[in-house]
Amino acid sequence: MNVAIIGCGGMGSYHAQMAANCGARIVACVDAFPEAAKKLAATHGAKKALGMKDLAKILSDPGVDLVLIATPTPTHLELVERAAAAGKHIFCEKPFCRTSADCKKAIAAAKRGKVKLFVGHVLRYFHEYEALKAQIESGKIGTPGWVKMYRGGMFPVGSKKWFSNFDQSGGVTFDASIHDLDWLRYMFGDAERVYCQALQRTEPVLMDYAQMTIRMKSGLIATVVGTWAHPSGFRAKAEICGSAGLLYYDSAESPLSAQQRESGAGPGMIIPLGADSVSPYQLEWEDFLAWVRDDRKPRVVPEDGLKAVALAEAALKSAKTGQPVKL
Amino acid sequence: MAKIGILSFAHMHAYGYASSLNSLPGAELAGIWDDDLERGEAAAKQFKTRFFSKMDALLESDIDGVIITSENIRHRAMVERAAAAGKWILCEKPLATTVEDAKAMVQACKKAKVGFGTAFPCRYSPPLMVAMQQIQSGAFGEIYAASCTNHGSSPGGWFAQDKLAGGGATMDHTVHVADLLRWILKKEFTKVYCELGNQLHKGSLKTDDVGSLHLEMEGGVQISHVASWSRPKSFPTWGDVTIQFIGSKGVLDVDAFNQKINVYSDAAMKAEWAHYGGNPDTGLVTDFVQSIHERRDPSITGIDGLRAVEVTVAAYQSHKTGKTVKIGR
Ligand SMILES: NC(=O)c1ccc[n+]([C@@H]2O[C@H](COP(=O)([O-])OP(=O)(O)OC[C@H]3O[C@@H](n4cnc5c(N)ncnc54)[C@H](O)[C@@H]3O)[C@@H](O)[C@H]2O)c1
Repeated sequence: MNVAIIGCGGMGSYHAQMAANCGARIVACVDAFPEAAKKLAATHGAKKALGMKDLAKILSDPGVDLVLIATPTPTHLELVERAAAAGKHIFCEKPFCRTSADCKKAIAAAKRGKVKLFVGHVLRYFHEYEALKAQIESGKIGTPGWVKMYRGGMFPVGSKKWFSNFDQSGGVTFDASIHDLDWLRYMFGDAERVYCQALQRTEPVLMDYAQMTIRMKSGLIATVVGTWAHPSGFRAKAEICGSAGLLYYDSAESPLSAQQRESGAGPGMIIPLGADSVSPYQLEWEDFLAWVRDDRKPRVVPEDGLKAVALAEAALKSAKTGQPVKL
Repeated sequence: MAKIGILSFAHMHAYGYASSLNSLPGAELAGIWDDDLERGEAAAKQFKTRFFSKMDALLESDIDGVIITSENIRHRAMVERAAAAGKWILCEKPLATTVEDAKAMVQACKKAKVGFGTAFPCRYSPPLMVAMQQIQSGAFGEIYAASCTNHGSSPGGWFAQDKLAGGGATMDHTVHVADLLRWILKKEFTKVYCELGNQLHKGSLKTDDVGSLHLEMEGGVQISHVASWSRPKSFPTWGDVTIQFIGSKGVLDVDAFNQKINVYSDAAMKAEWAHYGGNPDTGLVTDFVQSIHERRDPSITGIDGLRAVEVTVAAYQSHKTGKTVKIGR
């Protein structure tokens, strides 16, 4: 399988390694900043490193089987549409698109182009969340009735500070908590309504903090907290309360911890340091590649990407109106 | 010497207050009344004091003040009787189950010119006292948001009977945090949204056991709070009070009951926590005793109790209407 990486920033670089780990070949790198493309291409021995205006050359190349889209979220739709029209299978980072309307267009484009479209809801592949899932399904804690999901740390930088443009990134609600929103759906089904408070401050300090309550159709209540308000670090927690017990995961109690001396602007993207035998991002790739090769249905289908976006979108709408929003 | 009586041991906090009273040099636990004869007599024996089978007999005795630890809905009548008898009053939280009742209680004490306090011992918890000082010092700048929890295990009994408790976990476990936020941030609440339900004890309880609240304070401070009886029997401790403060100059996390040693004992066959640090009950009771000596209101007043009741009542109202409820004054 020959892969073109579109968006060679934090995630694009990481995904290139994951794809390579699965035996795929990185044949082209494309980025709005050709320098970023060149750097990543050099790492993986890709022949082509191009700027965005040359994307058409890559998409028309029959030697490219798949594309990975890891550009800022609002650009996802156009890239999906172009790749799909060119008949390339697509791995698109989460959030799928910036609006649910865009997600629907992207799904339609993939159908038209008869290509497979995977959305990177990687939490479904995290070993710790899979362990939570197994415990829930074992019935040990009875029927879950209340869940709390917590995620975040410092504000991500990203290229051209695109995360700090709340219209573009959607802030922590849309960009980070969406992992938890998807996982809630994965485990407990669809949401009925959501209430959200979103801080989204730029002055005097750039920060975001999201607090949500979601009532699921099943009746379960979920409390979700997302932070880009911390001066440093990253932490994720999950707490599942059931009729006969409680499950609790806290990344701060991880088997590895490290503190690096900060240099420059700090990381643009945060991937927690883990001790996994296989990276969950690699498991995503294995799942996606098996779908492309053997038509085996993956753990995430495009509708999941759409529904996660719809839920995060409803949360942001609630934050604006100050009232709950029905899905 | 301040002579103090306790009205009802229905709330288990009565036991903590009684032992605090017995440990204070300037106070005397002068008598106990309880409508449950057996429970009252046993408590009187345990705390080496007299049992009164009639509430009025205790109120007409020479006591200076009373601590009221009955079921929530009975608070008002007892406060009114104690106030009429001219006694200083410390009333268990939640002060009342309706705003109307809480206001009437405040009014009755004002009219009778007796001191009236609400039992919010968390204000005397060492981690929360430090948190308050830190936030008030400005070290964390302006506080924009906070996310809070007050979890517990299912208390059962009258706590989960609507008729006696006026609600469930949301009634029981919202007021502490509401009071702490007012105390620490020096702001009043303006808005409440709440999702609540019987999420975990469908077989055994009729009331809600989880409430997920969103509050707003003056100036738009965004707050989430979860009130619950979600800790299972196997959990190492009864529950928690936690707050994460988000400020312009940093983040402060306080976990009030995390002054603990992990205990693994084969005798218990579950992990347990042994607590160290101060005893908040003693701080609360000490202030009450002093308020009697000084003929003033206890530091945590009836108005503080009323403000917390307003939040709880708005939470239940929001659950009913499915909308945000404004708190107006
Ligand atoms: N799954 C995860 O754990 C995770 C973590 C972080 C980010 N993400 C997602 O991955 C995506 C990328 O985020 P990132 O952290 O890598 O950001 P980034 O800013 O580090 O990288 C984005 C890259 O895209 C390039 N770019 C910008 N605009 C472009 C355009 N119009 N066309 C082509 N290239 C363009 C930039 O030059 C940069 O190299 C986002 O959707 C983000 O939400 C996922």
